[in-house]
Amino acid sequence: MKKIIETIGLSYCYRAGTSEEVKALQDVNMSVAKGEILAITGQNGSGKSTLARHFNGLLTPTAGDVLVNDFSTAEKKNIKEIRKMVGMVFQNPDNQLISSIVEEDVAFGPENLGLPQNEIKERVDWALCTLNLEHLRREPPHNLSAGEKQQVAIAGVLAMKPQCIVLDEPTAHLDPRGRREVLESAIRLNREEGITIVLLTHFMNEVIHCDRMVVMDNGRVEMQGTPHKIFRQREGVTKMGLDFPVSAQVAAGLRREGFSISPDIIHTEELIDNLCQLK
Amino acid sequence: MELTKNITLGVYLPGQSSIHNLDPRTKISAATILIVLLLFARSYEAYGLIALFTAALIFCSGIPSGYVIRGLKPMLPVLVIMWVFQLFLYKTPDTAILFEWWVFEATEAGLHMGNLITLRVLFLFTVTTLLTLTTSVVSLTDGLESLLKPLKMIGLPSQELVMTLVIALRFVLILAEELEKIIKAQMARGVAFDQGNFIQKTKKLFPVFLPLFIGAFKRAEELIVAMEARSYTGGKGRTKMKTLRMSSSDLSAAFVMLAYSGILIYVIISVEPII
Repeated sequence: MKKIIETIGLSYCYRAGTSEEVKALQDVNMSVAKGEILAITGQNGSGKSTLARHFNGLLTPTAGDVLVNDFSTAEKKNIKEIRKMVGMVFQNPDNQLISSIVEEDVAFGPENLGLPQNEIKERVDWALCTLNLEHLRREPPHNLSAGEKQQVAIAGVLAMKPQCIVLDEPTAHLDPRGRREVLESAIRLNREEGITIVLLTHFMNEVIHCDRMVVMDNGRVEMQGTPHKIFRQREGVTKMGLDFPVSAQVAAGLRREGFSISPDIIHTEELIDNLCQLK
Repeated sequence: MELTKNITLGVYLPGQSSIHNLDPRTKISAATILIVLLLFARSYEAYGLIALFTAALIFCSGIPSGYVIRGLKPMLPVLVIMWVFQLFLYKTPDTAILFEWWVFEATEAGLHMGNLITLRVLFLFTVTTLLTLTTSVVSLTDGLESLLKPLKMIGLPSQELVMTLVIALRFVLILAEELEKIIKAQMARGVAFDQGNFIQKTKKLFPVFLPLFIGAFKRAEELIVAMEARSYTGGKGRTKMKTLRMSSSDLSAAFVMLAYSGILIYVIISVEPII
């Protein structure tokens, strides 16, 4: 698999060189493969946001290197190219919408890229259409639900036609419905448009829809692998302060009660299949 | 405490009225002219004319007049204070004294001055509100940017300045919401904002404004990161999705403005100023 993002021995300190130095990332080696959905999870303060901000050069490493399609983010001249390749959506939709009209906000990114006028229009139409937001195009953001605002933020990034979109806890402020819709959009962008997705989240029911997951703790990558593989390591996951997906919890409870249920269950469908096979 | 219901500045009400559809440059220039003319109006006759024209503008914009008036409500205390100050403190040597209160004297000149200044601020606010209600922030920026472009030659970073303004306008509402939240949180913990004397009341506001300011800075930082992530590097090299185009209605608007300005200037010159 070709790597779109790769970190090599990445370390990052906030306020480096002062007495209040905080080591946010220590010797992180990980990569994002082209076309996958990768979940990054971990407790608050584990360094996942700091890591994500290295993916498009918002932060540059104190030590080590971050390569985006083999461009180093440490080189200033690469930054513009890198930001075109890797888009980023943040937690609070209110703090990332610039314009007071949806379509104009979506146009903000392409405008910054200096694209010709009709191309901007095409991209805005395409992004709104892809995320089913056309009916909102003339609305001011403050009339939208939090979930819709977050969809608009995603559209704004999508209009820049990135190869990869990093979503930094996009669902933290949303209600269950908004959360489901944002997750569905992310998955659809991955499946239909082939965009690589990096999803930072606390919700294990979102993690299980990802191809691979990375667990961070104390600025280090502690676990990497498919959700099935990670959630089988029950002690490790608990030590990282993470929950289990609902289906895995149910399966574990049933197993304790003596039912013969596979330890690999994380999806609802898997649980149902397994339960149906019980006699 | 329903702050967000009252604040109208910086909020755009989408519509298809003749005013909505004007070129933003026309609207900004017109608003500027209206405001400048306000500064010269010193008679009740002139303000009568201004009131008529402003009412006509509100009517043409199709915005419910209640909406505009509601927006004026938060201004009321400021207006009253200004009026009282003028009433007692403004004096001309030969003016009649209306009444005395303690060491202060209310004069006729002060009364007129108070009235004029209150009217002036009132219309100033109405005109700017009308501009932002009928013009999306983006058209506002586009318009301003285009109007300020010549100033780039003398080194004014017009694009960046305008971007700052736009964001400030968008955040008025968000910060008002936040203020409301903080006040409610404090009230839930037993703070009674409407009790106590002036100093006690003022003291109670500190724990409201501190978190508001800290919140505003945090928001600003997040916004900067979000803008940077979307490749914003200042005005250089930016293109626009929409280009501004003047139409025939802008020409008619210019004629209306010209006629109105002419009449108003005539009134201003011919009618003896009240003060």
